[in-house]
Formats: sequence, structure tokens, C-alpha cells
Amino acid sequence: MTLLDIVLIVIGEIMIGIGALADLIAAIGMNRFPNFYLRLHAATIGTIWGAFLPLVGAAFVAAGCKCLGEYRWFMAGGALITAFIILILGPAGSHALARGTHRSGIVPVEPKVVDHLEEDESMPTSQETREIGEEEGGSP
Amino acid sequence: MSYGEAFLLGITALAAIFSTIATYMAIMERDLLKAVIFSAIQSTIYAFIYYMLMAPDIDLVYIPVAVGLYPAVIIALIKKTTREEKP
Amino acid sequence: MTGMTEIQMFILAILPIYVAAFILYTFRALRGPSISDMVLAIDAMSYDLAAFLVILAIYFKQPILIPVAIALALWIYSLDIYVSKYLEGKELGE
Repeated sequence: MTLLDIVLIVIGEIMIGIGALADLIAAIGMNRFPNFYLRLHAATIGTIWGAFLPLVGAAFVAAGCKCLGEYRWFMAGGALITAFIILILGPAGSHALARGTHRSGIVPVEPKVVDHLEEDESMPTSQETREIGEEEGGSP
Repeated sequence: MSYGEAFLLGITALAAIFSTIATYMAIMERDLLKAVIFSAIQSTIYAFIYYMLMAPDIDLVYIPVAVGLYPAVIIALIKKTTREEKP
Repeated sequence: MTGMTEIQMFILAILPIYVAAFILYTFRALRGPSISDMVLAIDAMSYDLAAFLVILAIYFKQPILIPVAIALALWIYSLDIYVSKYLEGKELGE
């Protein structure tokens, strides 16, 4: 076991430990926040800090551990691919879910100060008003 | 049996208990869309149980069917019919 | 070789934190007030479960267990899209 392997294993174990703590914090926040739109914040912590970081750490550990045999590069590559997939799909899924929820209005934005998105959706956009004006102007 | 094996089998037993609770709530729910989500919870936990029982080949087939295709078919069906279950 | 390496002992020490997080996620997924809360909780739980499965594959020293994590992380994304499409009132594929 060379020095590079030891450094890789220690860095990977630190990342896995940080990921476990972030996971617990995100789970507590998921239970304690009062609103769906605040729970998105906890879900973001659980996705990026709790899943992406331990996967990169697991790739480091798998690359540095001689005890896994020659297939350790397969494990490291699989872990990196999973981390990349989660980095792309997690925010995209959360965004799609929040958009659908806010447009359908099944969850009230209960403890709020101001909601600019709702005001923007309730009033017609500038393009719609221009179309209405053109229709009222009549055809030549 | 070492500490590690006992702990991992304990996790599997706990997952089985939670999947039973999810199945019960999916049967007793009147809102059909919520029932689909409960069924998705049960499917995810079953994927974990298959993994812990060292059957990754079954798991690779079970995940697309139970997590991907089955909720799509049921949600499309709910969309075409009604959402509330009639008593 | 005394049965367990240092990496396996570290992973065994880390595992209870992950299990506690999964139990809390499952509580929120089972009793969420609205559908969006349940879907969000099961989504975050599945992404963390993918990381947990990779760590367990390192613990078991079996490389054949890795593709399960990739499949789980890819397919749980579809549940978000189905539910958000339903909530926006559109058909699938529109």
C-alpha cells in the first residue's frame, strides 16, 4: 500500500463521513420544516451533500483499496457515473415537482411574506396583452 | 455471527416492517394517487431488501418494472378515470 | 488479515447514521400532508439509498452489486416527472 493509496482512502472516508452527517441533518430538516417549499431546501442538502459527495468519496476509497482486487476500477467508475447522474437528475426532478405543485395550487404557501411568482401567474403577461390588443384592433 | 452480519440483517428486518406498513396504508387509502405513491415506497424498500439478500440480477429487473413502469401505467389510468375511490 | 480491514470497520461505524436518516425519511414519506411532500421524501430517500448501496458494495467487496445503484438513481427520477405531469393537468408525453 503506497502513500497515494492511503491519501485516497483517507480523503474518501472523510467525504463519506460528511455525507452521512449531511444525510442526518437533511432527514431532520425534512421532518421539522413546516412547508413543502421549505422542505425543498432539505431535499437539496440530502441530494447534493448527502448523495453526491459520499459517492465521489466511495469512488476514491474503491480506487485506493488494494483489497478489492482488479475490479476496483469497475467499482470506482460505477460510483462516479452514479454521482454524475444524481448531480444532473436531482435538481431537475425537484424543479419539475415544485413547478407542478405551485401551478396546480394544491399546497398553500402558508407562512409567507410575499409570493412574486403567484402575482406573475395571476396577471396576464405582456405578450398576451399585446395579442388581445391586436385582436381588438380588428382586421384591416 | 459477527456484529456486522447481525446489524445488516437487523436493517433488512426493519425495512421489511416498513414495507408492510406501506402496503397496509396503500390498501386502506381512499385517494388513489396517494396509494400509488405508497406502492412506490414499498417498491423502493423491496429493491433494498433484494440487494441485501444478494440478488442483484432480480433487482435490475425489479427496479424498472416496480418503480418506473407500474406507477406510469397506474397514473395514466387514474388520469383517464376518477381519482377518488367510490365507497 | 484479521477478518476485517480498516475500511470495513469505518463503514460499520458510519452505517447507523444512514439508517437513522432513512427511518426519518420514511416517516415523512408515510405521513406527508400532501402528495408533493411524499414524492419529495421518497425521491431524496432513493438518492441517498443509491449512495448507501455503493458503500455497502465496498463493504461486501463484491463489484457485481454496483449496477443496482445506477438503475435506482435513473428510474426514481421518472416518478417525479409522472406526478408533476399529473399535477399540471397534462397527459404523459405531452
